[in-house]
Amino acid sequence: METIYYLVLIPMVYIAFTVFVLGTALRLVKIFRGPSAPGKLQIYPEKRSKWLWAAYDTFLFPTVLRRKPSLWVFLMLFHIAFILLIIGHLELIKEFAFFQIISHEVFPGKGFIGLTLSICLLYFLFRRFSSPVRELSVPEDYYLLILLFLTVFFGSEMDWARRWYYYDTISVDSYRGYLFSLITLKPELPYEITSSGHTFMLVLHIFFANLFLIFFPFSQVMHSFLSLPMNKLRRG
Amino acid sequence: MEEKIRDDLLKLFQGRFNRVMRFYLETCTRCGVCMEACHVYASMGQIKYTAAYRHELVRRVYKKYFKARGRLWPSLGEAKELNENSLSELYDAAYSCTGCRRCMVFCPFGIDTQMVMSIAKLLLIGASMEPEILTMLADMSIEKGKSFELFKEGFLQGIRNLEAEVVKKWQTEAGTAAIPVDVRDADLLYVALAGAHSIIPAAAVFNAAGENWTLSFFEAVNFGAFMGDPARTALIMNRIVDEAKRLRVKEVCICECGTAFRVVKQLAGSLPFKVSSITEVHARYIREGRIKLDRSRYTDQITYHDPCQLARNGGVIDEPRYILEHLTDRFVEMSPEPRMNWCCGGGGGLVALGEETMDFRMKSSRVKADQIRDTGAATLVTACENCHTQLSNINDHYKLGLNVKFLSSMVAEGLIGN
Repeated sequence: METIYYLVLIPMVYIAFTVFVLGTALRLVKIFRGPSAPGKLQIYPEKRSKWLWAAYDTFLFPTVLRRKPSLWVFLMLFHIAFILLIIGHLELIKEFAFFQIISHEVFPGKGFIGLTLSICLLYFLFRRFSSPVRELSVPEDYYLLILLFLTVFFGSEMDWARRWYYYDTISVDSYRGYLFSLITLKPELPYEITSSGHTFMLVLHIFFANLFLIFFPFSQVMHSFLSLPMNKLRRG
Repeated sequence: MEEKIRDDLLKLFQGRFNRVMRFYLETCTRCGVCMEACHVYASMGQIKYTAAYRHELVRRVYKKYFKARGRLWPSLGEAKELNENSLSELYDAAYSCTGCRRCMVFCPFGIDTQMVMSIAKLLLIGASMEPEILTMLADMSIEKGKSFELFKEGFLQGIRNLEAEVVKKWQTEAGTAAIPVDVRDADLLYVALAGAHSIIPAAAVFNAAGENWTLSFFEAVNFGAFMGDPARTALIMNRIVDEAKRLRVKEVCICECGTAFRVVKQLAGSLPFKVSSITEVHARYIREGRIKLDRSRYTDQITYHDPCQLARNGGVIDEPRYILEHLTDRFVEMSPEPRMNWCCGGGGGLVALGEETMDFRMKSSRVKADQIRDTGAATLVTACENCHTQLSNINDHYKLGLNVKFLSSMVAEGLIGN
């Protein structure tokens, strides 16, 4: 069992990050090095500044708000929670004074970020089970949502246990010990990480997160990088 | 399908790759926000007529041959082999899409379905499965451009016959040709369609405005664009560009043809002359006081259909409204927002295919008919040949009892002082 823990928590994390970083970078280089499309693809009427409107389209999804307001609510919550989640994870690596401008306990959100994400992901998933979105969906849409849900759910459970049930055998310091060692390429597994009652959750969380990172560059999640340039094309 | 044919088709596919096409092929999350955008889906209710479904068909072939996943785990994205079946699905997708780009307004990323469909159309050409009529029409246009000397005499005779009509209906100054052709250093080159209705009223307005203009030898319509064939599109467009350069004109004015306008204005890159639609030119004449229109001439309730290629995709939105303000007091808007206007259902070559597509065109334009009916107008105006034909067909089919008119003809009829 310990070997499996070790493999998931150290070598697999390195592999996943390498695939994620290199894969994403290479794919972006390949896409952006292609010749530009001939002509203008703009939609009218035109509004200025084009970049600002493109950013508005990219980050606030006005077209979704107008057409599918309930989907918009979940999309907005999901994306905001996702950003907070990234901040939370960075704080599990080391302290960042910058993020403490709004003072909070690490991990932020008192357990509600994970809860929000879990609910949103279930909404996205169940939405795909019913017509007409079902007919548009392909297996990867389901796999991706299930994978994200599992990642978020196991990660959140540890947070919930700490915040709501005061079960904090794995402390913020243990996470920092583990994650910082990974970053400094001197990987080590603090005792609490591998021998807590929550170790299996952590291992599953990291296992699914690794799979997600590996899949990222080859999936539609690349919209994280492509949405802004695409919206800019539409704005002209 | 033979290996060799498939390889050739995949080369055609690959030839369409550019930065933007990759964006479009990589990004769709199949969120379904675009579903209600398509007039065909809204009218007929079949999922295969939604934007995401249409481009997913192209994307499935893309995943199969151009992504490692297609080989390692094809079922992940339902990667699909390129064969007769998938080509026939692509045919249904491409030739039921009018390229109106209404879905692009809905998509959170702004995926251009028309552009993705151009891959499908090109594959169909490669497999000789495209509608033959379009190829014939495109090749005829190209042939006419190549051996123009053969057609020249007949063309000029035709123009002289039309001139008589212009003079009869709208007096022009003695000594000036009513329809000037091949004038070097003219200010404006007018590119019309083959048909008196596209030339006579336009000539009347140019002459009334005292424009130093000349008529192009070539017709504006670009069947290559309908076919989705970049090579033929460029050949047909370049005849006009070359003529404009040869005559050293300052401006090229495209007649009421949405596709022709968009191809020259938006897709040709930078050109040494200005490109305008005739609607923009007419609005300019009114603004500059070069023509005056009789506002009491039309007393019916009038509504205007924004041709997709002209309005949403070409930016000519305020001008037709400005013109109509000078022609009537009884203008009523069709759509609260022009960029959301329903497509007439005739674009993308569907009208050019005539009777062959009539049944589909009528079924798929139910929402358009409802939209027109809701305005309560008695006259329906538009500024695109394709739209005009399709709207006339809708008018007959849905028994709307409207008078369907070209905006440019109304401007000519409303001229004061003639």
